Amino acid sequence: MRYGRGALRAVKVLLDPFAALGVYLLLIAFVLDQSESAAGLSITCAIIPFQLIMATMANALKSIEVRGSIILNMSFPRMLIPVSSVVTESVAFSGSLVLIPAMMIAYGVAPTPALLWLPVALAVTIVFAVALCYPSALVGVWYPDLQPFAISMVRALFFIAPGIVALDQISGTARDLLPFNPLTGLFESFRAAVLYGHSPAAWELLAPLAFAGLLAALTLPLYRREQPYLAKLVG
Amino acid sequence: MQGAGVRFDFDHLSRVLTPALRRIRRFRASSWGLRHVSLHIEPGAGLALVGPTGSGKTTLLRLIAGVIPPDEGRVAVRGRVGSLLATDAGLGPLLTGRENAELLGVLAGLSLRETRAALDQVAERSRLGEAFDRPVLTYSVGMRARLGFAVIQAISPRLLLLDEVFEALDHEFRAIVEEFALELRERGGIVVAAGHDHAAMSRMCPQALLLDRGHARAHGPFAEVIGTYRGPEAAGAMAEPATAG
Repeated sequence: MRYGRGALRAVKVLLDPFAALGVYLLLIAFVLDQSESAAGLSITCAIIPFQLIMATMANALKSIEVRGSIILNMSFPRMLIPVSSVVTESVAFSGSLVLIPAMMIAYGVAPTPALLWLPVALAVTIVFAVALCYPSALVGVWYPDLQPFAISMVRALFFIAPGIVALDQISGTARDLLPFNPLTGLFESFRAAVLYGHSPAAWELLAPLAFAGLLAALTLPLYRREQPYLAKLVG
Repeated sequence: MQGAGVRFDFDHLSRVLTPALRRIRRFRASSWGLRHVSLHIEPGAGLALVGPTGSGKTTLLRLIAGVIPPDEGRVAVRGRVGSLLATDAGLGPLLTGRENAELLGVLAGLSLRETRAALDQVAERSRLGEAFDRPVLTYSVGMRARLGFAVIQAISPRLLLLDEVFEALDHEFRAIVEEFALELRERGGIVVAAGHDHAAMSRMCPQALLLDRGHARAHGPFAEVIGTYRGPEAAGAMAEPATAG
């Protein structure tokens, strides 16, 4: 039900990412007066992975609460619950990929063989989202009052990553510190494949993967131990 | 079930604590929802759970269904479980009856193909008509219970768990539930039902377990247990329960 019903459902799936992108495009084009070429494509490379991560997290935060009724009624593998958030949001994620060719055409950016790295970047994004969904589900059920705060925290990560402005446009200390944000590697790997026309640097793929691996290593066993007790929390 | 118990831990703000949360929040108090309950239910048996509100009936059903684990003791259940532990029966309000039936069938252990093959049967048995393809949030309580029960019928459970469902059903559907329960017991299945409609429960379940504040107080023939619970007059008013073959 994430996408509603009826014939307009597909339209909503396609318009969501355009709406998200449009806000930042306006910011870049009319407010910040950015001189970066292909600013819209650059932002697209950040918006697409971020939308999946943000939407997965928001969905996962509520995933256990929303399924409270079924959790209280029958036994089934509760490990599926957070992952269902990723699957649900992957539909919009897939729809958002249409932005890439659209922006490439709009800015006259020709595809290069580096585009073959895009599926790799997509895969890393999905792994990142899966790793994030388990702690999100736990936080959502343990601390339901903190759900808006958790979303704001992740949204803040977008702004302390090269989301609106590409990393090569940033200088000084910020340039040195930004790679510590796992989103930085994700955004730059998309830019490398789509905009710059070269393969992503190893750290751009490995850093978010390492973060996802660490997050999963810490939270998956915790969720596995907690899952039998979810009914006590929602009941 | 041997010496089974379910404990609820609370923090200083009366929020429920899980084992992980006990390491983070300050533990304040415990309450046993169920304690020292030992039970062995033979195939073909029907067991009614009776007792006042808060006595542990729902907790015991959830324990049997595998919804919550025991905090002490041991619980072993063999066979597919069909549970209707609330009138909304795990239904998603934004999904249609058909979509809910498909989801619940798969989660209950049927393959997607088996579930889809059974959808027409679910639609027919639930008697929802066109409502079957409308979102469940448009349903009445009775319609939700009927849908939940129709899904249970489709999954062919070996163990049927019912929790205060009767109150939501019309007389015609109550008869369908009773008939299904009796047929299930005749096939060697087990029925465990909780509620306050003792007349209906006595027809499905020849045995009863009286719970009081999480403890089993009496276990035996339905009329005897009701007599312990509500007095000799109530026991006399109960019809003799039907027994499986």
